[in-house]
Amino acid sequence: MTYFARKFGFFLATLWAVVTLNFLIPRLQPGDPAEIMVKRLAGKDAALDPAQVKAMRAMLGAPDGSLWNQYVSYLGELVHGNFGLSYTYYPYKVTDVIAQAFWWTVVLVVVTQVVSFVVGIVLGAYAAWRRNSRLDSIVTLGSTFLGTLQPFWIGLLLLYVFGYSLGWFPTSGGYEESTPGFNWPFIQEAVSHSFLPALALLIVTPIGWILGMRNTMIMNLGEDYIRLAKAKGLRDRDVALRYAARNALLPSVTGFALALGGVLGGAILVETVFDYPGLGRLMGEAVQNKDYPLLQTLMLLTTAGVLVANLAADLLYGVLDPRARRAQA
Amino acid sequence: MTLLDVRDLSVRYEPKASRPLDAVQEVSFGIGPGEFVGLIGESGSGKTTLGTALLRLLQRPGRISGGSITFDGTDITDLPEDDLRALRWRDISTVFQSSMNSLNPVVRVEGQFRDAIEQHSSLRGEAVTRRIRELFEMVIIDPKFMTAFPHELSGGMRQRVNLALALALEPKFILLDEPTTGLDVVVQHSILENVRRLQAEQGFAVLFISHDIGTVLDLSDRILVMYAGRIVEDQSAGALLREPLHPYTKGLLGSYGDPRQETVKITYVPGRPPDLSLPMVGCSFAARCPERIDLCLEQDPPLVPLQGGRAACHVAVLQREEGGAGPHGEPKRGFEGPQFVKTADESRSALTNDVVLSVEGVGKVFERRRGFTVTRTEAVSDVSFDLRRGEVTALVGQSGSGKSTLARMITGVESPTSGRIVFHGPDGDQQVSGFRGRALRDYRSDVQMVFQDPYSSINPAKRLGYVLSRPLANYQGLKGAALRERVMELLERVALTPADRFVNRYGYELSGGQRQRVIIAKALAVEPRIIVADEPISSLDVSIRAEVLELLNDLVKENDVGILYITHDLLSARMLSDEVIVLNNGRVVEQGPTLDVIRAPKDDYTRTLLDAIPNPF
Amino acid sequence: MTTDTTPTPTPGEDFMAEGSPRQELAVEQVSDTARPDQWWQVIWSSKKARVGVVILAVYVLVAVFAPLIAPQDPLDSSFEPLAGPSAANWLGTTTSGQDIASQLIYGSRISLLVGLFAGLISTVIATVIGLISGYAEGTILDDLLSFVTNVALVIPALPLIITLVAYSEVRGIWLIVGVISITSWAGAARAKRAQIISLRNRDFVTAAKFSGEGTWRIVFREIMPNMTSLVAASFVGAATGAIGAEAGLAALGLGDSQSVSWGTMLYQSNAQGAIAQGLWLWVFVPGLVLAILMTAMTFINFGVDLLSNPHLREDA
Repeated sequence: MTYFARKFGFFLATLWAVVTLNFLIPRLQPGDPAEIMVKRLAGKDAALDPAQVKAMRAMLGAPDGSLWNQYVSYLGELVHGNFGLSYTYYPYKVTDVIAQAFWWTVVLVVVTQVVSFVVGIVLGAYAAWRRNSRLDSIVTLGSTFLGTLQPFWIGLLLLYVFGYSLGWFPTSGGYEESTPGFNWPFIQEAVSHSFLPALALLIVTPIGWILGMRNTMIMNLGEDYIRLAKAKGLRDRDVALRYAARNALLPSVTGFALALGGVLGGAILVETVFDYPGLGRLMGEAVQNKDYPLLQTLMLLTTAGVLVANLAADLLYGVLDPRARRAQA
Repeated sequence: MTLLDVRDLSVRYEPKASRPLDAVQEVSFGIGPGEFVGLIGESGSGKTTLGTALLRLLQRPGRISGGSITFDGTDITDLPEDDLRALRWRDISTVFQSSMNSLNPVVRVEGQFRDAIEQHSSLRGEAVTRRIRELFEMVIIDPKFMTAFPHELSGGMRQRVNLALALALEPKFILLDEPTTGLDVVVQHSILENVRRLQAEQGFAVLFISHDIGTVLDLSDRILVMYAGRIVEDQSAGALLREPLHPYTKGLLGSYGDPRQETVKITYVPGRPPDLSLPMVGCSFAARCPERIDLCLEQDPPLVPLQGGRAACHVAVLQREEGGAGPHGEPKRGFEGPQFVKTADESRSALTNDVVLSVEGVGKVFERRRGFTVTRTEAVSDVSFDLRRGEVTALVGQSGSGKSTLARMITGVESPTSGRIVFHGPDGDQQVSGFRGRALRDYRSDVQMVFQDPYSSINPAKRLGYVLSRPLANYQGLKGAALRERVMELLERVALTPADRFVNRYGYELSGGQRQRVIIAKALAVEPRIIVADEPISSLDVSIRAEVLELLNDLVKENDVGILYITHDLLSARMLSDEVIVLNNGRVVEQGPTLDVIRAPKDDYTRTLLDAIPNPF
Repeated sequence: MTTDTTPTPTPGEDFMAEGSPRQELAVEQVSDTARPDQWWQVIWSSKKARVGVVILAVYVLVAVFAPLIAPQDPLDSSFEPLAGPSAANWLGTTTSGQDIASQLIYGSRISLLVGLFAGLISTVIATVIGLISGYAEGTILDDLLSFVTNVALVIPALPLIITLVAYSEVRGIWLIVGVISITSWAGAARAKRAQIISLRNRDFVTAAKFSGEGTWRIVFREIMPNMTSLVAASFVGAATGAIGAEAGLAALGLGDSQSVSWGTMLYQSNAQGAIAQGLWLWVFVPGLVLAILMTAMTFINFGVDLLSNPHLREDA
């Protein structure tokens, strides 16, 4: 099972690289972000918890100590889950602020990602199978155009049409008067608030899958095993699904996590438009307010999320493609 | 009654970006039940297109543009796919070229039998498994491999599995499209034996497509010869061998000879097939034909019945009408074109010239690390021989015999793990494995290489003039007019004349044979002491191989260069070399003067290789 | 494409003699179907690419001659706020009284500049890393560069760009170009590495070594000329991506505050509540021109892809 070991090794190494990058970014800047943050927090006229100040310095840079010592204490704080205080939501801890927004984004992103994957794969495979048909050109041309649209812009248009003009959906926020939790009124409100943001993402995100799947499928359709399957007199459906699509799907699986990064990017833009209470809006606020601890933590969290998804996709690929497990040990 | 009846079938390719071309032109033939028919032709002759059309598997931009295909009384030319499906595999099955790719890489082999069987028969579940097991035994593969994935099988096994798959529903007709190309000669032989035996037992009809006239002659009852999209000859195998009608057939037959003979002659057909996208007047073979008469340039000869078979040749028809006494003379059995002759005397030149490079007890072990286990493969062990100026040493063996590894060590790409390779150069004796950087570069001005695949060994982005000028500029510091003059000289030297027509061409504009000449010219540029030629003719069409061999032979004589000729084919070794070394699994199994080894082989493996030479003489 | 006046080869005519011992037998045609069309012919042969080239040309002209075309100064806020379309303000004005049409016209400059330079820089990075890593395949150097590439590939781009931009005090166009370039090269580098590996193992590279060529010459004179279409495609792709990234960044309020781009227009319109006030033109037009530009560039890439993938030409 060297394939799995290798993929896990890559996951750990990448995680380390990302954690280190996150450590370096604030230190590459002129000035001292940590000092600025501490001063600004102190300006909020409350007693600063020394432990939190220490965490903040570890995250953003401390004037004292060598780079190596800073790195060690940074890693220490990370392990203990200390990411400092949020400036925007003072005196809450960054982790608490993020916990509030976390599920809003996770649900939004996971739902759109899964729906786009399924829609994209099916449409792409179908377009390739009916290559050069009218449907294929509509799908291909339409995707090319839709793929260039800005999620931010789509969000604004949807908001204009369905929010303000037609009034079918709420125009901002995540819920109204209900209490967040597992209760019916809340779920209803959350769904109606999430609908437009999700739709805005769903217009753009399946495009990559459609075009990618269509390309690999067309390439696979030229392979000998497809010709042989046709010569065997199998039904078109079997040739298309068991032979062509089954093989064309494989590259898409490994692309899953990379696409997740794109969806996250889109979510940041869309959440800002809809004032949706997720991580993306939080990131926008963090930037506006120069809330560095929050920003750094969000960056780390989203990247780690993509890495985990990438690992999962790699492992799944290993299961799906018998050749992968054997290849270049 | 014929099982498969093809009438005036034409296939046209209409690519959007280039001129349309008729790959198959008004081809007619029939195959009776249980008949084994061979279809030979060289690359570009349209034989695979014809096969694909028969299976109704043509893809855009190709389509059947005329004629009909009738199978078992049903016209399948335009049969809707739904009706065709019932016929597929149950009646008509196929084995494609032995590529890696005819099995679905992500489905176990068993599943790929099961779907075909269940689609066309009432067998289900355990009964299907039993049938698959039976089929595996039929092609002599352990049924335990049923659950394997395709990539877990060797090339030969995969092709046997494909054969078993083709037999799954006891079809009436199987199309075999170069089923063993690319496999080892020994493996090829055993697979084809298997085919022949099963065909005799089960009585299915076969159309066997191949470029290799030897195997086709061995297996077939009747043979179709295809050239430039048409069938030019159709005869029973025996008659074709005894009295070939078309000059092209004669050329193909003439490309082989018996290496054991005192004097071996092999012919070649100069030039190359016509471009089918251009209009053509007269016979498509006329340009290359030594028996050509004026009529051939004006009228396209029809395929007419002749001597119990059919042929498309004015001369053959006229000669038989005149009974041999007329102005067109006697029918000739052999190809009247250029030939390359090697007498026993020439082969017997004693190994007396100066030794330029000696291989002394060389071995090479590859270590492959996989996790914590290290696998050691011994690619070459304890090989010794000398290369002499003006002489050719042939290194003969199958793929995996270690011959390419030896070539890499001799050219300094890899180092031996034991023994040594010594170059006896102008600066005294030097060990090759010690060469690095500058020294390696200098060494390569003495040792040059000719590659197997002329299609990938010329940079597609560069003109021939540039390609040939680089070694001259690098090693001899030539510039300007002197450089250009030398480039022209080289082109002339390898008979690419007039040189100014070639100097600004790109490699892909030339035929395979011409490209190989360019590579040889490039190797010659620096006046090396040794040329390592790694299977230089194996990717060329059979009908032009002798041409390249002859060129190499001339170089040895005239330039006094020593050649290490690497091949899997003892016939070409006989034609070119003075000494033969037979390699099997990295060991020398036989070594000696060419004629001795070929006429009195002592090792079984050498005999197997000799048996593998097609025998149409 | 090749409907030129090729002489019909009459057999027997010495159209291109291959020098053989018996000249009179050997007739050789030089197949001119094998001669590929010029690159611009190939690109132009695709209908989509033609459309793309024309649209892009219009955008370039507008950007170059913006001062002549635009009716107003884009930052001049002296007009009546919230005016509808009129002769002076073709698309109306913003909440702060700026001319929307002029902003739109000047905005093309930012997008094209970012596209050009970020596309160039990111292609250079990708090419250098891809070439070195591919040519050094199997060595520690390749392992290292491949690892860096893979890490850069999995880090989500937009969050990283946002983080990098957030720390800088001055957000000029060059900062944005730089940040986009260094976050967007990884995919292209991987593709180039794969291609160079396949090229490197061709015999012509070994043949060049036997011609005494040095490593640099092999990489740049032998291998590179075979990669031009891939490099071109990756440049167009990178430029398209950069234009989109700039717009996204500006829409979040992280754009160049000194100039007008389509992204900053979207940001302003959102921040000023254009949608709630029904000023849909202000929102609609910048996003649309952006999408048309990016579509045109994608179309051009359909043509460029034909260069490297001759079998795609059927689809053009």
